[in-house]
Amino acid sequence: MAIVVKRINANRQWYLWGILSGMGFTFGKMFKNLFNKKKMPTLNYPEEKYEYGPRFKGSHILTVKKDGSLRCTACMLCATNCPADCITIVASEHEDPEVEKYPINYEIDVLRCVYCGFCEEACPVDAIRMGPEWQTAGANGSNFSYDIKELARRPALKGGIESRLDDKERHSQGI
Amino acid sequence: MEVKLLTEHYDDKSFQGIEGYKAKGGYEVLKKAFKMKPQEIIDEVKASGLRGRGGAGFPTGMKWGFLPKNDETRYLLCNADEGEPGTFKDRKMMERAPHQLIEGMIISSFAINSPKSYIYIRGEYNESTAILRKAIDEAYAAGMLGKNIMGSGFDHDLDLYVGAGAYICGEETGMISSLEGKKGQPKLKPPFPAVQGYLSKPTIVNNVETLAAVKYIIRDGAEAYKKHGTEKSCGTKLFSVSGNVQKPCTVEVPLGYSLMDLIELCGGLKPGRKLKAVIPGGSSAPVLTAEECVDAKMDYEDLAAKGSMLGSGAVIIIDDSNCMVDLLNVIMHFYHHESCGQCTPCREGTGWLEKMVKRIVTGEGRLDDIDLVLKVANQMKGRTICALSDAAALPAISFVEKFKKEFEYFVREGKSMVTSKGAPAHA
Amino acid sequence: MLKCTINGKEVEVKEGTTIIEAYKEMQEDIAHYCWHPGLSIAGVCRLCVVEIEGNPRLQIACNTEVRDGMVISNVSDKVEEAVRWGLDFHLINHPLDCPICDQAGECGLQEQYMKYGQYDSSMAENKVKKRKVVDLGPKIVLDAERCILCSRCVRFTEEISKTNELGIFNRGDHSMIGTVKDKPLDNDYSVNTVDICPVGALTSKDFRFQQRVWYLENTATTCPGCSTGCSVSVYHNKEGAYRVKPREDKENNGYWMCDEGRNVYKFVNKEARLLSAKTLNSGKLSSVRLAQALEDFTSFNREGKKVGVLLTGQNTTEEYKAILEMFAGADFFHWKNNEEKFNDFDGLLKRGDKNPNTNGLIETISNLKDAKSFNASNYDLTVAVMPENFLVYEDYNEKLESLKASKNLLLFSAAKLPKMELKTENTWVFPLKTFVEKEGSYLNHAKTERRIQKATSIVTEAVALNEFAAAVSRGLKININHHESRKQNEFTNIPGQY
Repeated sequence: MAIVVKRINANRQWYLWGILSGMGFTFGKMFKNLFNKKKMPTLNYPEEKYEYGPRFKGSHILTVKKDGSLRCTACMLCATNCPADCITIVASEHEDPEVEKYPINYEIDVLRCVYCGFCEEACPVDAIRMGPEWQTAGANGSNFSYDIKELARRPALKGGIESRLDDKERHSQGI
Repeated sequence: MEVKLLTEHYDDKSFQGIEGYKAKGGYEVLKKAFKMKPQEIIDEVKASGLRGRGGAGFPTGMKWGFLPKNDETRYLLCNADEGEPGTFKDRKMMERAPHQLIEGMIISSFAINSPKSYIYIRGEYNESTAILRKAIDEAYAAGMLGKNIMGSGFDHDLDLYVGAGAYICGEETGMISSLEGKKGQPKLKPPFPAVQGYLSKPTIVNNVETLAAVKYIIRDGAEAYKKHGTEKSCGTKLFSVSGNVQKPCTVEVPLGYSLMDLIELCGGLKPGRKLKAVIPGGSSAPVLTAEECVDAKMDYEDLAAKGSMLGSGAVIIIDDSNCMVDLLNVIMHFYHHESCGQCTPCREGTGWLEKMVKRIVTGEGRLDDIDLVLKVANQMKGRTICALSDAAALPAISFVEKFKKEFEYFVREGKSMVTSKGAPAHA
Repeated sequence: MLKCTINGKEVEVKEGTTIIEAYKEMQEDIAHYCWHPGLSIAGVCRLCVVEIEGNPRLQIACNTEVRDGMVISNVSDKVEEAVRWGLDFHLINHPLDCPICDQAGECGLQEQYMKYGQYDSSMAENKVKKRKVVDLGPKIVLDAERCILCSRCVRFTEEISKTNELGIFNRGDHSMIGTVKDKPLDNDYSVNTVDICPVGALTSKDFRFQQRVWYLENTATTCPGCSTGCSVSVYHNKEGAYRVKPREDKENNGYWMCDEGRNVYKFVNKEARLLSAKTLNSGKLSSVRLAQALEDFTSFNREGKKVGVLLTGQNTTEEYKAILEMFAGADFFHWKNNEEKFNDFDGLLKRGDKNPNTNGLIETISNLKDAKSFNASNYDLTVAVMPENFLVYEDYNEKLESLKASKNLLLFSAAKLPKMELKTENTWVFPLKTFVEKEGSYLNHAKTERRIQKATSIVTEAVALNEFAAAVSRGLKININHHESRKQNEFTNIPGQY
């Protein structure tokens, strides 16, 4: 295979013109942004944060019932539907026969998660939602395995998000 | 005109006891029967065209003919579990003429060669039970029951079994289950009871009235019995007429009697009232409108042609002061309460029907419910082991189809078209 | 033989065949809940309706016998409408709590709904409330709301276990199965009621909430619990086995198995198992790689050594053959757990001999001695094969203890071993494969061959005795295929579930 060697003419070998035009562009933008900050597209992360739309699929939230316990019934439909296979649930028998089944462990490996939202769609009881948070930094691997405490009771949720579907209400309606 | 065959001595108090009964020619027919061969009796009953008076109207002689021709022990059961709403003819028979039934049962048992028979009586019939029990004791004392009856060499025992008040035990296989000590639930057919019934032995189940009629067929002969009634519906029938008539009662008329005449026989409607509908055969029979009643004849064929049935002969007269929606609600409540819960369509369907009709009556119905009642009822029809499902479905279908306007009015206005449930809408 | 036409196809069936049996025979689909081939006919679910030419009424297939020349169909519009409504009647009072119901995935209601249903319920009224999470007995939980009252379980206790614990109480849509005064449902065959329950009304406490069934694969094999050798299916995933269910086998176990046999999956899972090979290293047993342990053993010179082999009836015939060949001339001892009970039989399935292959051992190795006369110190090399289901061996610990007297010990065990202080010269411990990890055959009480089939690999380091013998004779090269693709033969062809 032949190698094409690009020969640069004498005019071009002198880089000054290129440097000047580059600096012109840079400084042009700099001054433009200095005097018209609002039009600047870049954000000063982490001081400034981007606001995504309300339908953004960010960090998972496990919703809670009125009494503060987990809404999740451990049906494992989310885990079944998950294309990344990142949800692990261990179910157990609840002492209240009306609840019957609940998760004693619910883990999402967010490094494997593709944030597709299929779990949210599979959930029959509005127990898992994709929240607005999107900053998932961590220092090591274990920080990325979210458990119930993280998913349902992290400080950002301010005591838990209440599920829209309540069993007691459904039962009283005869469903 | 009334024909008093079975009811001839109803008004005579002494007829209850064996002395009075004998004075009026009681147990004479039994003597005659013992002189006949069992097969002759069966042939006589067959020739009389007697049909089951309990509801289904199955030819009695033919039923007896289904018994296997061998020496296996067989049983005769008398169905006195008269649970059909509106029926009270058997009760009166057991109270006024208990020996008539006992004699008919001994004759029938002799015909089918049964050593033991039972009367399965409805749990609520305390008075009838006491009278029957006394009558059976008398019969035993007089040698009409027990070993070697009247020197004929025929042994027969008769026992009374009191049910616990379940409607479903009036169904023959349900009754057999109950008699066996099991939960009163109908059994799957085939095998039919005539082949495998009580204690898995061949069993014949007949209504009180049927068995009593056997006595008169043997007394007068098949030809004489056939003179009453129509060609296909022979003999006389007891009708329990109730509802909005002046004089609700049991009357005996030949089959094929006009329905309007029957109403007149019971004193007619209350003054100023118009006939609205008639349930001709107990609450499980489809209702007839006033127009259909005009030329209705009380026999198996004519009522079947009109889409209803003779059933147990419980004629419920409904005049224009009644709300059909409310009536259906009562009927549906009854069948929901009495469904044995074995077959799914009946167990769930009867409850569903009641809930829907109840919702209409409480003024929360939807127009769709009216069609849904029809759909559900149609799917319950003929889908179960016994006929209870049909018994709930048929009135529901006929009420809704024939009185749809009343149902629609109730749904739209939230009140009845007729009764005080809301102001009467029309004069 | 009778000729009839079913869904347009002409078939011949034996006299006395019911229509539903004819459908099953020709593997045509027919919906049904209450009918079960091992039980009497109830005829209550009314789902198996068929249209018979010349009969205006739909008939139920389970209680109608085929007559010559019958033309039967269950694919007509009339039948399908009846089945759809029949299903709706079943569902109107059903709680539809599939997400928390263990039966989801193998539920009769779900199956028929996907076929005939797929609509929203038209019932707007409140559902009937019944008891939930009723503790029926030590093994079973009842949910009366889910129950469709098919009465299979009631008929099972009446006809098969003959214990009559269950009954249907109340009537109409308030009917509920239950036991008298909540007396426990506790018999040796009670969990069969869970298997035959077409819905999630009866659930097994042992399996409750352990796994969703769609995560499990099943493999047709034989129960090693006793010498009956019932045909069973083992349900497993990559983590291990979760439950054992009976498989239809008319000659051997019919449709049932005993409750004790359902526990056989428990000793195959990792937590109960010996996970790696071990050798004696400066007086202490320490884990080594399988290949190294094999090499270690092979380098041991067996020439002229007196060998004693201790065996139980819990291995396959193939393994016995291999071990017989490998240690030809050795003394073989048969370790029996409860010999006096070997001929016990409860009249249904359970036998006293809790080893699946006692007959295989006796037939394969002719000069067996009773293990009571076994003394490890008499031999230069003691070979001991510990039973995989050690719980049925009361003298398990004593035997293990007696092995300490061996000069050289070759020990095979599937189960985890307690800490042992050994004074032997050499000890090699090999993890043994359990019945779910190997193929082979058992000879049951009637001396009929029962095959076991490999379901999964749970302990990757484990060997079967025949694999071990082959590896040693080949000279170290062990080639154990853990991911062999499952062979398709008539054995893996599982007949339909009822």
